[in-house]
Amino acid sequence: MNAIYKKYRREWSTLIALFITIILFSVLEHSYLSATNIATIVTQSVTYGLMGIGMTCVIITGGIDLSVGSSLALLACVGAQLAKAGMPIPVWIVVCLALGFLMGVVNGVLVGVMGLQPFIATMGTMQVFRGIAYIITGGFPVLNVPREYRNVFNFKITSVITFSVVVFFIFAIIITFVLKKMRIGTYAYAIGGNEDAARLSGVRVKRTKALLYGIGMLGTTLAALIMIGRLGTGDPSTGQGYEMDAIAAAAIGGTSMAGGRGNIFGTVIGAVLFSALKVGLVVMGVDTFYQYIVTGIVIVIAAYIEIVQGNMLSKQKEKSK
Amino acid sequence: MDKHIEFEHIVKTFPGQKALDDVSFSIRKGEIHAIIGENGAGKSTLLNILHGVFPATSGEIKIAGKAVKFSSIADAINFGIVKVHQEIVSIPEMTVAENLFMGKEPGRFGIVDKQKMNKDTEELLKRLKCDIRPTDKMGDLSTGQKQMISIAKALEVNASIISFDEPTSSLSDKEVETLFGIIEDLKNKGITILYISHKMNEIFRMCDRSTVLRDGKFIKTIEMDKTTRDEVIQAMVGRDISLFAKRTMPCQKKGDAPVLQVEGLCGERFRDISFDLYPGEILGFFGLVGAGRTEVMRAIFGADSYGKGTVRLKGQEIHCKSPYDAIERGIALISENRKEEGVLPNFDNMDNIALASLKKYMSGMVINNGKKIKNAKDKGSQVGLKPNDPSFMTVSLSGGNAQKVILARWMSTDAYVMIFDEPTKGIDIGAKADIYLLMEKMAAAGLGIIMVSSELTEVMGMSDRILVMSDGAITGDLSKSEFSEENILNYTVEESVS
Repeated sequence: MNAIYKKYRREWSTLIALFITIILFSVLEHSYLSATNIATIVTQSVTYGLMGIGMTCVIITGGIDLSVGSSLALLACVGAQLAKAGMPIPVWIVVCLALGFLMGVVNGVLVGVMGLQPFIATMGTMQVFRGIAYIITGGFPVLNVPREYRNVFNFKITSVITFSVVVFFIFAIIITFVLKKMRIGTYAYAIGGNEDAARLSGVRVKRTKALLYGIGMLGTTLAALIMIGRLGTGDPSTGQGYEMDAIAAAAIGGTSMAGGRGNIFGTVIGAVLFSALKVGLVVMGVDTFYQYIVTGIVIVIAAYIEIVQGNMLSKQKEKSK
Repeated sequence: MDKHIEFEHIVKTFPGQKALDDVSFSIRKGEIHAIIGENGAGKSTLLNILHGVFPATSGEIKIAGKAVKFSSIADAINFGIVKVHQEIVSIPEMTVAENLFMGKEPGRFGIVDKQKMNKDTEELLKRLKCDIRPTDKMGDLSTGQKQMISIAKALEVNASIISFDEPTSSLSDKEVETLFGIIEDLKNKGITILYISHKMNEIFRMCDRSTVLRDGKFIKTIEMDKTTRDEVIQAMVGRDISLFAKRTMPCQKKGDAPVLQVEGLCGERFRDISFDLYPGEILGFFGLVGAGRTEVMRAIFGADSYGKGTVRLKGQEIHCKSPYDAIERGIALISENRKEEGVLPNFDNMDNIALASLKKYMSGMVINNGKKIKNAKDKGSQVGLKPNDPSFMTVSLSGGNAQKVILARWMSTDAYVMIFDEPTKGIDIGAKADIYLLMEKMAAAGLGIIMVSSELTEVMGMSDRILVMSDGAITGDLSKSEFSEENILNYTVEESVS
């Protein structure tokens, strides 16, 4: 137990913050825990969470993916169009995931193989993907996606919760498995910790990076398919600024922006905390403008906790000598 | 004589390492005082404390009888204690004068009085007798000239204590003479000078006294005109010089078929490198820093590319395009930069040890933690890791133990060619002895071992054969009977730096 506590020290504090947030809002506003609000929190958590998990994969290697918001739009548009064209559902899912994976690999190749700065490379593809989304849709949302496609990830399992939550958890578990139990996961942390040392120890840095950007984009793909299900449309202008929400979920969950540190458990809690906070502010009737300020402050505090805890840890170590 | 600087019971601990252990000695006013010792003896740490880079864990420094404590480099500079940097931090696009007066430009209301600045600079430079103009661009100066600017900076703040850290390492002979002239001048003006160098002849020529540090401890202060070179070296290396870096087993060379053959290898920093390595042999590679030894090893290992030449492993021609290729084929390279190219700061011992051999611990697609832990414990005990705890974070270990973790990593790969690049750099004597013994054991097990080293005692003590490199080429090939300090150094003809 103690070992588990130590390993997930940072995540426990996020979890406690989540509980405090929920208790605080429900005391301040009794309607906070109404069915509708919970449903909203869950829906948002799924989107932030799926994209945040993908972002975590990338950040662990020391990178960043700014293109996920645009990718969400492009994948939603392509997904909606393919659905309307009547592609068989299993094929539809596979094709969308493959496309998402490929888009991620493009980012990964730009960063890992061609050596571009992750920030610049994915800022470029962010524009490109958005542009493609507008071109293939002519700038208009793809409307009226057939019901059977919408239901794939979004049929209700209780009155407020849809199957998308299950998809979210399965994805979280799979990626945790990939990062913790498969070679590529160890290599990802190694690259983020010290890229030169990783390479000299036989880690194939280029392909590992390319794959991780691809795997990361699978989260965004699932978010896009769930969005199609929820709204029944694919909108080329959607997802603007979502990359920031994904980064926020990862950061609040304790993922180090320098790479090499972080895990999916933290990001999942971070995503839920982030949406609980956003919904709470809306329920409280806080002005939109102030909402920006509050969410911004929370992100900064989360980052600061990271630093303080890091310092405390190294001090403890020094003492134990 | 009056004591200008007194170090009293200085202790400095870093996580997992005692860098300075109760160091007390004093430096007289107006003398040139050398601080000498092997790598990792604590020279830089001591200097950093004096210059306010970081505080001592305990103990105090007295300047002219008064206890002082600097919280920053700027603090020390204001007190008149300045370090002359080898590579001075400067903005290459700005002029010499602008660089010199950065942050304290003369003038009023934020408008810089350029004329005054240039005139003051000219005067300073005149005192140093060097032909640099205040309006020259910093980026156009040579290394030696830049160092002059660094000295000018020290004069500008009226420093009473100036320290030089390996000041001659990148200067030409002529520049060295000029520098020595200036240092003599500074001394005559009553400025106290601390001088850190590895070069014995410089220390004997320039310094009045020298203080020897070893493993963070004060050994003794020596009057330079009453000592000999041997005595100084003896003090530096310690009494166990004879026990140290000495083979416990005879040469283990097995058979006449080389395990590694390199022929005519050419690269950017080396040319026409040919040698054979036999199983069970420890082949030493000696040379001065920058001779190209590391580059050759990195090329063989696939870390860098090379142009012409062939590499044969067990008779089969190979060309490693990446470290991955080399490891797959059974070559390991223990890099000289343990921190930058070895240890993963976010990994514990188990994962640091497992990294290069991860394939061995798989059960299907899944990494088997049990196998990983078992391997970490086995290899950890083989290398004498303390504590041999797989969940201990490697960054928190001392230099010697961190190096053992890296050794354990490479032993886990079952390589049969092990390349050690400066394997004992910056580690304590106990760990050194352990690592030497491990190398012998590996040789006895039939591995071919290459040891790149800049330490003569080490390379002479451990090698079965020594290749000497100079300026990118192999200049000497010595068999055991030919080993002598003189013989080896003769092959390291230093190219003249312009």
